[in-house]
Amino acid sequence: MTRLLTYLATGIFWLAVAAFWAGGRSAPPPAEAPAAPALRAIALAEVARHAAPEDCWMAIGGKVYDITPYLPDHPSRPSIILPWCGREASEAYRTKTKGRPHSPEADRLLSAYLIGRLSD
Amino acid sequence: MSPVRLLTLPLLCGLLVGLPVWWAFPEELGFWRSCAIVSGWLGCGLLLASLLLMVREPRLAAWLGGLERMYRWHHRFGTLAYLVLLTHPLALAADAWEESPALARAALAPWQQGWPVWLGWASLLAMMAGMGLAVARRLPYAAWRGLHLLLALAVVLGVVHLLLLGLDNLLLWAPLLAVAIMAGRFVLADTGLAARPHVVERVGHPAAAMVEVVLRPLAQPIRARPGQFVLAAFLRGSRFRGCGEYHPFTLSDIGEDGHLALDIKALGDCTRHLQAVEPGVAVRVQGPFGTFLGDDPHGPALWIAGGIGITPFVAVLRHGKLRHPVTLIYLYRDSADGAHLEELRAASAGQAGLRLDARATGDARPDLEAIIPAAAELAGRDCHLCGPPGLVDAAVAVLLARGVPRSRIHFERFDFR
Repeated sequence: MTRLLTYLATGIFWLAVAAFWAGGRSAPPPAEAPAAPALRAIALAEVARHAAPEDCWMAIGGKVYDITPYLPDHPSRPSIILPWCGREASEAYRTKTKGRPHSPEADRLLSAYLIGRLSD
Repeated sequence: MSPVRLLTLPLLCGLLVGLPVWWAFPEELGFWRSCAIVSGWLGCGLLLASLLLMVREPRLAAWLGGLERMYRWHHRFGTLAYLVLLTHPLALAADAWEESPALARAALAPWQQGWPVWLGWASLLAMMAGMGLAVARRLPYAAWRGLHLLLALAVVLGVVHLLLLGLDNLLLWAPLLAVAIMAGRFVLADTGLAARPHVVERVGHPAAAMVEVVLRPLAQPIRARPGQFVLAAFLRGSRFRGCGEYHPFTLSDIGEDGHLALDIKALGDCTRHLQAVEPGVAVRVQGPFGTFLGDDPHGPALWIAGGIGITPFVAVLRHGKLRHPVTLIYLYRDSADGAHLEELRAASAGQAGLRLDARATGDARPDLEAIIPAAAELAGRDCHLCGPPGLVDAAVAVLLARGVPRSRIHFERFDFR
């Protein structure tokens, strides 16, 4: 009984993984975003005013993101990401876990929270 | 089994499973994201419970209702943990699917992730291999035992996966407890640190392919009751070299001075090798374990023994006069396989309360319908069964059919894989 359950569950698991992979491959690529309107210029001083867990902006790679809605979903513990609210966080973003950058998926996810460009 | 002992195992395991889930239960997250978090922590709790139940410590075993019961639940919790943990990455992918199928694919593509996810996958794959081998049939014990370490590796990788993901301080207790339990089990049981040193004093041959080994304690003796068993690892003597693995052996005698006697039937590679054991061989012994005959038999009983299963009953008869009437049915293949027959006949002749029905059954299945007493004679008796699983199962079926309540039927299975 245990043997059957173990082998059956393992088989179903790999079938489900294969289904997700196949679904992800055959899905149409995300439509190119329509020509973005000119981004609002935001100064670092304004970013700094949004430095709380309930209002968290970050400047990454010359752009400003409001990642407040994403914070509960971020996989690391809050003490790792929260100190970067209201700050220029490009270096931290590029050097996650032992100097590795975030994945391309994380880049795509981040773009959903774009609210402006960092002004000089 | 007392109600307290009956409840300690489910209560303790319920706590180990429930606490991390309750602590980490998500609020205001999407359905699949919540499923992923709950499945991760539920699997973690079930693994913790499974790990606790593999600790071989006599007092803990007595408290939780016996080692045999612990191992049964160790298997169940381990399997359940594996099934739940399989859903963890799938739930993460389902959560990502709501955003985009490409993201779901990426969630199941470890090469697009970092160390925390790599270790999570490594843990799951080690568990997959370990579980596949743990339930495999006909794997030699030594190979099975070595491959079972894959499951320990899976736990270690899972713990590092959790630590790298980042845990709130309060939740750190779960992975740390898992590591502590495994380290405790390895140091105390597997290396034999908690085992007591003994030496083989005498070796007898009570039946074909069976030896009776009398052990003399070299340190504090083990205090056991008839019906209990120990885990013993035979090491080396001047000419004999034991296999060094811990195997369960029921005690056939317990001396006032701490001497222990074990009956060892040649059933596997190690026990076959032990048929040549000689005095002077060092032995390490853990125990005692088991609740087979209870603390104090409190009424008339029926004992059914098959082959080597006579051992616990021999221990009772050697321990002193019976205080209640007992019918002992002893089934063995042929006269060469019947162990301690002369001694059993002498005991039966010496005390009116013991009725012995010893019979050679040959290669055919014994006709238990004819051998087991009628319902009227079984009324009010506790039935203790010890022997091969097939015989025990068949005897239990006959006893139940004759109206013996399940609570009065007692047996243990030595399935320590």
